[in-house]
This record gives sequence, structure tokens and C-alpha cells, in this order.
Amino acid sequence: MSVISQMIVPFVLALAGMGMFFSKKDLFSEFTTGASYGLKTAVGLLPTLVALITAISMFNSSGASQALSNFLAPLGSKVGIPSEIIPLILVRPLSGGASTALIADIFEKYGADSFAGRCASVIAGSSDTLLYVISVYFGAVGVKKARKTPLIAFIAALFCVFVSVFLCRLLF
Amino acid sequence: MIGKISGLICVLSFVFGVINGNVGQMSEAIFEGASSAVTLTISLVGTLCLWNGIMQVATASGLIEKFSKIMAPLLKFLFPDAYRKKNGLGEIAVSISANIFGIGNAATPLAIKAMEKLQQNNVDKSVASDDMVMFTVLGTASLDLFPTTLIALRQTAGSENALAVVVPIWICSFITAVLGVILVKVFCMKKVL
Repeated sequence: MSVISQMIVPFVLALAGMGMFFSKKDLFSEFTTGASYGLKTAVGLLPTLVALITAISMFNSSGASQALSNFLAPLGSKVGIPSEIIPLILVRPLSGGASTALIADIFEKYGADSFAGRCASVIAGSSDTLLYVISVYFGAVGVKKARKTPLIAFIAALFCVFVSVFLCRLLF
Repeated sequence: MIGKISGLICVLSFVFGVINGNVGQMSEAIFEGASSAVTLTISLVGTLCLWNGIMQVATASGLIEKFSKIMAPLLKFLFPDAYRKKNGLGEIAVSISANIFGIGNAATPLAIKAMEKLQQNNVDKSVASDDMVMFTVLGTASLDLFPTTLIALRQTAGSENALAVVVPIWICSFITAVLGVILVKVFCMKKVL
């Protein structure tokens, strides 16, 4: 599976190269036209990313996630969510780097094959840093009002946590 | 709403930072965060240019149109506006495929490309269109078939069966994505089917 993933990009580039070589159209100038938009998009994205990443790194350094986790742990255990993974659930929508660190921490403390380790794996693998995704997608095209996107994404992510824990109980 | 969320994060962080006595390292982290946003943007420039260029080539050679025809039934259901206006379906199809096959560096640039197409269809440019809400919600559901980083982490941690979580991840991703689609259809789109 990972071999296929690794093959795709080189294959796509070889395909494009073949097109440029054999086609009668000037595909190379198509490429440069397309590529020239990349910089403009990136520059438009920068202000959004500065705001978001600064806020996230402020959050990560404040110790807020640990404090909030202590507060939420009793609530979580009532609905069957192991308290070890609460910090991960809080951080996962916000920061990819911080969640990777938390997962490594859970694996080290409890083991990758423990119940907490498996729950953490399934949650991390089936959810994404949704705040980053939403900010980047809308920031890049200059949309100010995201409507119900963040709400729906958060509900889906919360649902994902419950499904993950349920599946781990059921399958392991 | 993103502004409100970022604002809330800053206020929460400040309060907890003061309570926990982490203010010193917080002010350092703030500037590091701002700089790392620039580093991230710079690292995105290359891939953005590359994938924009490749997409232009693929569009000019008619490949994107063929690809969008294969996925048309599904795309018609998920993105009715783009389907009606015949604009952006190919970009959406390519972006979702990149997500599924876990082409990490390509996912963001291709998604932005698709969003740009959806913005062309959009009537009020400052408000997200129905299609954009659907596309972004799908973007937040991790559709990656092979979570490479996670598996590597599990192997490093000495897991006896690092791949055991892959099938539950597929099931969970799928269920979450379906729920997201249903919520968008019911609460954002006027016509459900």
C-alpha cells in the first residue's frame, strides 16, 4: 500500500513529462502558467497561517490542554472514554505536531498495543487537524464566512472519537 | 467563526498560562509560532507551484475532464452546484484522490486549487457556498488509506501488530465522512438528494 503511495507522484510527473515530449500542444508553457499562480496563493495564505499557528503555539505552551483534560477526564470516563487519551482528543483538531507528540507519549507510557494506545491510534488515523484544514481552505480563497463548516466538522470529529473507542472495544 | 475560535484559543491560553505560571515560555512560543507560519508558507510555495503547474498540464491534455467523468455520479450528489456549472469537478476528484492515497505534499495544494474553482462558481465571494462547505467537511475527515506516520510511530513504540489499527481506522473514517456528508446535506444544502 505504501509502495503505491510512493509511486503515484513520480508516475504523475513521468506522465506529464511524456505529455510535454509527445504532445503537439505547448504543455510546458501550460505548466509555467499554472505554476505562476502558486506564489500568489501562498502569499494570500500567510496572514491566516500566522494568526492560526501563533494562537495554537500559545495554546500548546500554556498547559491549557492538561488543565482542561483534568477537568474533562471524569466526564469522559462516564461515557467510556479512557482518561489517558483526553489530551489527544483536545489537541487533535488543533495541531498535528502536538498530537504526534501526545501519541508517542501515550505509546511510551501505556504501550502501542494497550487499549489507550489503540484508541489513540484509531482516533489519530481517522481524524484530521480540522482547524488548520478549514482555515487554509477558506483563507486561500478569501472566504470570510465559513457558515456551519466548523460546527459540522467538530460534531463529526467528536462522533469519530466515540466510534473509535467503540470499535476498539469491539475488535480487540 | 475561525476568527472567534482563534480568539477563544488565545484567551484560554492566556488564562491557563498565568494559572500554570507558563507566561515566560508562552511569549517565546508566540514569536516562534509566527515565524513557523512563514516557514510553513515558504515550504508550501514549491509544492503549490508544482501542483498548480501539473494540474494545468493535466487540464490542457483533457485528463482532468476524463477523470471527473468517471467520478461524476458521486460528485453530482456531493457537489450539485459545481456539477450544474461544469466547473471544478475534476479538481475536486483529483484532490479527494490525493487525500485517499495519502500523497501528503499534494493534498493541500490540490485542495486549494479545487477551492479556487468552487470560488469561481460562488455567487457571494465572502460567504462559503454549499459545495465549499461539503468539500471542506470532507477535507477534515481523514480519508487517508495508509496512515504512514501513525504506523511508523506504532512500529517505533514496539507494537506487535502495528497494522492492526488500519481496518478500524478505515471503518471510523468512513462512518465519520458519511455523517459529515449527511449533516452538510441536511443543514446547509436546500435540496438533500
